Amino acid sequence: MNAIMTPPRSTDAQPCVHLQGIHKFYGAVHALRGVDLTIKRGEVCVAIGPSGSGKSTLLRCINQLEQISAGRVFVLGELAGYTEIDGRMHVLAPRRVAEQRRRTGMVFQRFNLFPHMTAIENVMEGPVQVKNMPRAEARENAQALLKRVGLAELAGRYPSQLSGGQQQRVAIARALAMEPEVMLFDEPTSALDPELVGEVLDVIKDLAKSGMTMMLVTHEIGFAREVANHLVFMDQGAVVEEGDPRDVLNRPSNPRTRAFLSKVL
Amino acid sequence: MDIEKAAPDRLVPTRQADRVGAVKLNEVVPRRHPGRWVATLLLLWLAISFAQNVATNENFHWDIFAQYVFAPQVIRGVGWTILLTVAAMAVAISIALLLVVMRGSDNPILRTCAWFWIWFFRGTPVYTQLLFWGLFAVLFPRISLSLPFGGEIVGLDTKMLVTPAVAAIVGLGFNESAYLAEIFRAGFNAIDRGQLEAAQALGMRQGRIWRRILLPQAMRVIVPPTGNETIGMLKMTSLVLAVPFTLDLMFATNAIANRLYLPVPLLLVAGFWYLSITSLLMVGQYYLERHFGKGVDTIRARTE
Repeated sequence: MNAIMTPPRSTDAQPCVHLQGIHKFYGAVHALRGVDLTIKRGEVCVAIGPSGSGKSTLLRCINQLEQISAGRVFVLGELAGYTEIDGRMHVLAPRRVAEQRRRTGMVFQRFNLFPHMTAIENVMEGPVQVKNMPRAEARENAQALLKRVGLAELAGRYPSQLSGGQQQRVAIARALAMEPEVMLFDEPTSALDPELVGEVLDVIKDLAKSGMTMMLVTHEIGFAREVANHLVFMDQGAVVEEGDPRDVLNRPSNPRTRAFLSKVL
Repeated sequence: MDIEKAAPDRLVPTRQADRVGAVKLNEVVPRRHPGRWVATLLLLWLAISFAQNVATNENFHWDIFAQYVFAPQVIRGVGWTILLTVAAMAVAISIALLLVVMRGSDNPILRTCAWFWIWFFRGTPVYTQLLFWGLFAVLFPRISLSLPFGGEIVGLDTKMLVTPAVAAIVGLGFNESAYLAEIFRAGFNAIDRGQLEAAQALGMRQGRIWRRILLPQAMRVIVPPTGNETIGMLKMTSLVLAVPFTLDLMFATNAIANRLYLPVPLLLVAGFWYLSITSLLMVGQYYLERHFGKGVDTIRARTE
């Protein structure tokens, strides 16, 4: 790899993701109300909370799919989306935004695989088009990634020929192909039939074990308890409670957390 | 898991097989449709009588048709008509793609320009536009780049640039681009927003996203109506006599008809060629649709 193309890897001391006073307005709706959050390297941060609490919006702010109204997003120490000069936020060129997004991988609730490409072509697309990797090398990597998510034999299938769980695993492989430093999962199992949830969660669990830094938005409380080492409970656009998942889930200190958990557990 | 994976391939029985593995398949008796046979015979009888009448009817002057269908000036007309169609569509498609990207842009100047282009070329009759392109060299005898109040930097006579063929292609192409832009816009709007987000999340830049992700998916929706427009364009080329451009198929057959005082056989000649070219275009469209249906048509193939 070209040394200039490789983004600087953050050090252990530096947080991977650092959110400072994030506000988001949709017109008059105040979707995020001053969120602060730090995700350290190797941390698995899981956000839970009722629908409409802003957890997906928050996740999407990290890779700039949502534009924040106030605050700062730092990914790997770099201010996302802007250059700050004398307190004013100058919008970055689209090229720079695209470069920043490469360092995060995103998995969507509705998979969003490219329907006109086979599974392996989906996984190859990022490396070939964005990193200019030779096709042969990209294909080899993609094959290895598909094997890692247990889909080696289905590489030639189109998304329409795959089950939801298989599609979501291809989507995870596609995100991993860019070798991101942070993985973002936006309710990765919410659109799946119940019997397919497990296969996707297993892949995410393996990823967590491999030391990947990630943030997950999910409704799977049991899964959060198992893999998270940083649990965030959000309600009405704010982080109400956060900390070690066992503490938050077993001894919630905030009444709103208690009320939510009593409904879902 | 293994059985499940293998299943879709194995469970497809051949038409004759009455068993798959240990399973004896149902013996299915298809419904009979006697009405269809009656209708077929009736239609065949009608078609044959009509064909026989047309073939033997002297008013059609089939001898003249045979004499002129491959006449050099007709063949040249066919060539020019195809050339005009292809060139005008190429111009139209290029501009329409540009217009669609402009209309979807953040840049208000580009958005407004695209809007005005579509408004103007869709809002005026193509015949009028062709007349104006024909008069272009009269209205603007010389095209030049010059400084305000200063001398001319470069310039040339418009007649050299806007020949009748160029006027015809530009006139037809610009007019068509406005219609195609709307078709293309519909195609791009049909794509789920998640596709754009997924591509952005990979760090792809706007140009690549259009070319690699959005365009191939939009094509599936765009190709059928664009095929329609191409066939429409084929016949719209007969309007180029407004320029006046006088080498196309319709003009050639009309000229012969006027000389012979026999319009019918020459109309048949023109019709024969228009129908032949349309058939050829339809074959092309079939392959285009098949190509861009990748990943979608597979579902249809499996459920059938």
